[in-house]
Formats: sequence, structure tokens, C-alpha cells
Amino acid sequence: MAYDTALVFPGMGPVPFADVGRFMVAHPVARELVAVADDALGYSLVDAFRRSEGDYSEAAQVAFFVNCLASAYWAVEHLDVTPDIVAGPSFGEKAALAYTGALELPDAVRLTAEIARCLESYFAAHHKDIVTLSFVRAPSEELDPILAELDDAGEWHEISCHIDDGFWMVSLAEHRVEWLRERLRGIGSLPLYTMRPPMHASVFAPLRAKAEREVVSRYTFADPSLPVVADQDGRLLHTGEELRTMLLDGFDHAMNWPSVTTALRDAGVRRMCVAGPDSLFGRVPRTTRTFEVVAAHPRLAMTPRRRTRAA
Amino acid sequence: MWDDQFEQILRTFLPFLPPQEPLTTDDELKDLGLDSLGMVQLLGTLEDAYQVRFRDSALTMGTFRSAGTLWETVEGMLQRTTS
Repeated sequence: MAYDTALVFPGMGPVPFADVGRFMVAHPVARELVAVADDALGYSLVDAFRRSEGDYSEAAQVAFFVNCLASAYWAVEHLDVTPDIVAGPSFGEKAALAYTGALELPDAVRLTAEIARCLESYFAAHHKDIVTLSFVRAPSEELDPILAELDDAGEWHEISCHIDDGFWMVSLAEHRVEWLRERLRGIGSLPLYTMRPPMHASVFAPLRAKAEREVVSRYTFADPSLPVVADQDGRLLHTGEELRTMLLDGFDHAMNWPSVTTALRDAGVRRMCVAGPDSLFGRVPRTTRTFEVVAAHPRLAMTPRRRTRAA
Repeated sequence: MWDDQFEQILRTFLPFLPPQEPLTTDDELKDLGLDSLGMVQLLGTLEDAYQVRFRDSALTMGTFRSAGTLWETVEGMLQRTTS
């Protein structure tokens, strides 16, 4: 089957409350989802998000999830977007589960909140010295020798994300980050930022087991209404069981955006709607040169649009 | 200060700076809308325009803090090229 339009739920980045607060309380689509979330959580999502500290609090994560989903529904209604295939790199997996009906919305909200708590408790006790460094302009042939030096020094590291040509996220011990930054600059690469807690590495297998035991095992995943492209390797997934595995793989497998864009392109997709606050996936060259990108985000949804005359 | 080409290039990556407002030496570029991906694209555009290659100490966040720090870095590379 040939597909046409992909709906992509982006990975999470920091989103200040001020950027989306009005959307969450005033936009009808968002308000409806927030009401469901409040009921599922047992607390006011907007209030918790407004008060929360740090970019990745539980409330910030649930808010990001809700805002991505709301942006998608708004895009379908107002931007002439009819998705026939879905992808959700990294954090976006959760919105993909909700949008395709693999999980009912209240369950998806609860799952998102519970995974956030699981992550917090795990990284409060484990791998406190590990961070994930992102950087660009590092072609494989120049990056490989640098990573080989880390191997030779017996220093653990893993590629956590492949975003685009030369654009990587590598997890490693924090005490080695400055060394890596310097070696990268030496080849003309620009180190961007470090993230803590880290993510997407095989050494987090115990976290996967914890998440499965404490959270994922308590949910039933229905077959999705649309195929979902796995963000680890670009496979097209059609069953609830496959999506469940994808969700768990997100803990201890690298995320590979090029495999997703390749899979979408090979499936015939020519248009990609990126739904939610996105500063990355809809903007990297690999995406923009392959697809017509429609960015559907809260700020756009709050911009007054001219009503079309009735025929 | 900087040349017109520099300002023209930089402004395309500063969505929060209205065209009629001056670009100052010290305003924080991130406050004017320069984000990580914008930084990467800006870097490539400056390299092409000035035929320079950012390396080593030029490739820090500090370089992109303000128009002033960024121009200082570009100018430094140009001077090294011509000397």
C-alpha cells in the first residue's frame, strides 16, 4: 500500500509554560484533552505544569503529550491533513499510541505520568554520572575514530540517537564530556547541549524491566487504527503487541530518525505533519528535503485564521 | 562593527527581531529567537558566505551569545586567512 501523509509526534524538548499555557486553557481542542487528563491524573494538569520546576517534570511531560495530540487534532480539522501513517520519535511514541487508539486517552495520560515517575525514581538511584551529549557536523568517518579512542580508554559510551547526517546524541560518563566536546570541535563539529537524565541506551535494560513491571504490564494495547513506524529501525508496526514492544525498546535501544524518514519515503509519503512544539524533527535537512512539512503547533493554533466563506 | 552581509545573514535566524529594530552588539541572540538548529544553519551560512571554517574554540555556545561575539569570531578567522 502506498501512503501519502505522515503524522509525526516529536520528541520532547523544553517548553516554557508561557508558550502553551493559553493554548491549554483557551483553545477548545486542547481544553477538551486537558479535561480528560485532569480526570485521569486526579489533579489539574495546567496548575501543576505552571508550578512545576525543571523542563521535564511529570506535569511538563504530560502537558507536552497533551499539546502534541491537540495540535494533531487541530491540524486534521484546519490544515487539510489526513494522516494515513504515524510516527513518534522518542517521547512522541506516547502520543502515537493515543492517536492511533492503541491506548485510550485516559490510559495514555496515566501511562505518560507513570513512566515519568518511573524514570525519576530510576535515575535518582542509578547512572547519576551519565549524560547524553548532542552534537552536529560530525560525519561518521570522523566520529568513529573519536569513539574508538573512548573504547581504547575503556570508557563506556553509546549512540543514543541518530538524528540526521552528522547529527548525533551520545551517552557517556559526565567526566568525559569536556574531552569529547574538545575532540569534536577539533573536527569542526558543534557540541549543542547535554541532557540529564540520559536516554536510549542498552545499559538501561534494568530501567526497561522496571517500566514493564511497574507500568506497561498494567495496560492493554489495541491494534492501531493506522500503521506506526518504529523509531528504532523504521519497521511498520500494525499490532498492539508490536507497539508495546516499541514503547519498551525506547528505554534501551537507540532512536534512529533517518530510518523513520527512509521508511516513510519508501512507503510513498510526500507530506509530513509534525504535531506539537517541535524544534528538531520537522526542521532537520533530512526531513525538509524529503517531505512537504506542515508544522502544527500551539502558537499556530492560537493565531486567528480567516474564516472561508460558505459556498 | 560588522558588514551588511553579516547582519543580513544573521537577521534571517532571529525571528523575534523586527526588521525595523536595530541589531545591537550585546543583545542575547537566543532571546531574539536563535535556537540550536538555527545556530547550526547560521554556522553553515556564515562559512559559505565568508569562506571560513569554524573549528576548536570558535565552536562554543559563547560564540553565538551575541552579534558582537559572533562577529568577533568571524572577523578573527578572516584576519587569520588574509595574514
